[in-house]
Amino acid sequence: MKRRITAIAMAAVLGGTAFGVGAAELRVGFTADALTLDPANHRKRETETIIRNMYDGLVTRNASMEVVSELAESWRAVDATTYEFELREGVTFHDGTPLTAEDVRFTFERLTREGAMGGQTSPRKSLLGPLTGVEVVGTRTVRLKLDSPWPILPAMLPFQEIVSERFVKAVGDAALADQVNGTGPFKLVEWRKGDSVIMERFDGYYGGAADIAPVGKACVDRVIFKIIPENASRVAALLSGDVHIINELPAHSIKQVESNPGTRVMAVNGTRSSYIALNNQRKPFDDVRVRKALAHALDRQLIVDKILSGKATLIDGILSPDAFGKNRDLPAHAHDPAKAKALLAEAGYPDGVEATLDVDGAGKDIAEAIAAVASKGGFRIKVVVGEGSTLTKRYRTKGEPIDGDMWLTSWGNGSLDPVGIFEPTHKTAARGNASGYSNAEVDRLLDAANIDTDRAARARMYAEAEAIVNRDLPYVYLWVAQDLYGVSTKVSGWQPSADSRINLHDACVK
Amino acid sequence: MSLGRLIERLAQLVPVLLGVSAIVFLMMALTPGDPVEIMLGDQHVTEEQERALRHDMGLDLPPHERFVKFLANAAQGNFGQSFFHRQPVMDVIASRLPATIELSLVALVLALATAIPLGVLAAVKKDSWLDRAATVTSLFGVSLPGFWFGILLLMLFAVHLQVLPVAGRAGYESEVAPITHLLLIDTLLRGRLDAFLDALSHIILPAVTLGLPMAAILTRVTRTSMLEVLDQDYVTFARAKGLRRRAVLAKHALKNALIPTVTVAAIETGSLLGGNMVVETVFGWPGLGRLVVESIFVRNYPLVQAAVLIYAITYVMLNFLADVLYTVLNPRVRL
Repeated sequence: MKRRITAIAMAAVLGGTAFGVGAAELRVGFTADALTLDPANHRKRETETIIRNMYDGLVTRNASMEVVSELAESWRAVDATTYEFELREGVTFHDGTPLTAEDVRFTFERLTREGAMGGQTSPRKSLLGPLTGVEVVGTRTVRLKLDSPWPILPAMLPFQEIVSERFVKAVGDAALADQVNGTGPFKLVEWRKGDSVIMERFDGYYGGAADIAPVGKACVDRVIFKIIPENASRVAALLSGDVHIINELPAHSIKQVESNPGTRVMAVNGTRSSYIALNNQRKPFDDVRVRKALAHALDRQLIVDKILSGKATLIDGILSPDAFGKNRDLPAHAHDPAKAKALLAEAGYPDGVEATLDVDGAGKDIAEAIAAVASKGGFRIKVVVGEGSTLTKRYRTKGEPIDGDMWLTSWGNGSLDPVGIFEPTHKTAARGNASGYSNAEVDRLLDAANIDTDRAARARMYAEAEAIVNRDLPYVYLWVAQDLYGVSTKVSGWQPSADSRINLHDACVK
Repeated sequence: MSLGRLIERLAQLVPVLLGVSAIVFLMMALTPGDPVEIMLGDQHVTEEQERALRHDMGLDLPPHERFVKFLANAAQGNFGQSFFHRQPVMDVIASRLPATIELSLVALVLALATAIPLGVLAAVKKDSWLDRAATVTSLFGVSLPGFWFGILLLMLFAVHLQVLPVAGRAGYESEVAPITHLLLIDTLLRGRLDAFLDALSHIILPAVTLGLPMAAILTRVTRTSMLEVLDQDYVTFARAKGLRRRAVLAKHALKNALIPTVTVAAIETGSLLGGNMVVETVFGWPGLGRLVVESIFVRNYPLVQAAVLIYAITYVMLNFLADVLYTVLNPRVRL
């Protein structure tokens, strides 16, 4: 029961609102505010999640993370460097103007041309790889041209949303930061910076992706993304009924949310692989036997059960089980402290190994559990908590000497294609390589798979590369944690999504 | 207080701000972490793409050149672009500053309104149960971590009693066209009592959390200084004249006893800005403190620079205001 002073006052003083009484309003307690509402001018997942409710893209992803048509009705690869998209008929922007192929051309030119946004270059340019040209072939047909073959283009396109050429030219690029004229299911009502983003249903919506039921207008009248960065406060907001959905539910709050009568926990496989980066450049982890010993010393399932409430899937290579090209036959390094000790003795460490495990504040509990469990396998691990950006600088050195022994870290991969995670973390001197690992064969396989347009061949190459890193073990691969959401029982029709988007088109609220 | 004195004070700001800029710049430059890397996040990018972004953010220049450029631009009122918002930093800060000012003011008023009467009462009734209660309470107030206390208040008033909201500055319906950008004032000016009450219900918990440590300190300062003043000859004289007790306390004792309180209040108001960072995060308050913390984590240099300058100006001006207040409280003090 709500006993808000304000509610009483409101009832007494105010007649009604623009929506009248009984408008279905869905409120999301969300970790971070949008940086901008311009779909082309940010590099932040949370910003994209908010924007995606107002802007649609050529394609999107369904619940099983397959790429499906959205504004495009169909698409095909004409050749290795040309993709053709046929636009759906009858799509209009929020201002009522129809979507045309010219808008698509304008959008991609704005994303990829230097200085195309009032002098600024889009920071999303690098998400489009070698895309250089857009050609309008008919009123509803466009071709995206690549400089070189780049088979993951379709997997990267859900990250881009289409803007209206006429609108952008009328209001100017800078104005797009807080004005919205998209083709998405919701229109912007107001952005109260730092506080909330308020949207209402767009009644002229074409219905959304044909492959994702239900097709049609959004279910709720109004949606509010309420920004609550602090975990405990976000949980409190859910429990009190202030919000209906919260993201990033901390694992230790699962019981609290489940035992509360009006709320439940929803989970979905995430796309972020967690691992321990081992410094392969110096003792003791320059020896593969020591690295394997650590893997055998750990009881990963125990840690998952105790600290993550069981909400994670173990991995034995870098790729998530949902990723394209995942090798499903990788041997696990099973929990075996005796074997760990034997391996250490063989490597010349009969008295065990001392090492420091670096971790940022959020991973402290897990790091301490790792240290405790590994001690039975001959590892004396000291946990040191540092700050994320500082640790990144020390470990992801692009080939320079790494400063540290081991780092508990992770890498996200929203595209679920190995290009987004395998290459940056394992290729020699790549920007996410935190172990100093370098294997010519792995480099060759990753380079070849990056541009091969034959899907089966690509998948084989990634599987082979994953088998090699499973043997070399530059990292101790841990798990892909599930993304957890706290959801009110009043909400129906909404499913969490592995790419961490919160698409509210299908969500209803009682 | 003369105009000349005011101008002199403002002129003193210049070296302070230069010094602050240099220190902040140096600290940010020495802290490991790279905004370009942070912005690119977990993605595969080519070196060329990374270089282009670095150039776009002006980070391809060596630090000393960046600092000179920053000073030259700042002198013309241009504090650069926020790396992550991709907008002028002053626009970003301006959108968040009013919420922080409003919260700080309400916290200050709450603190003063409880601390001064409580401090005076504790002094007048020295060693009574009331004095002891005030002393113990203020000890708690100083020691409680704001973060923990804030969440405790949330659990009690928002989750269990459900009488106050958890986060934010106002509900959806409480929108009024801004005049001062302070919601409590704007809602009243627009005659929207419902919106005023809504805004009030949102600000109570953060303001109490923020104001409590300040109230605690001010209670102790007021009590001590009141005790001192009550021993003075002029108070004894005023009593001997047969003045009413209330008049003695208010006119003779309190006015003089308030000088240390004003000094501490000015300093504490400065640190309210710091306390804001925690409270704004807990209560999802859309203020500057939270923005600055988030900006430090992602190495948003231009925004941190500009925000710290604003903090420095505020701090200096608050102390100046305290000086002015001394002359009101005690005409013998001259600026």
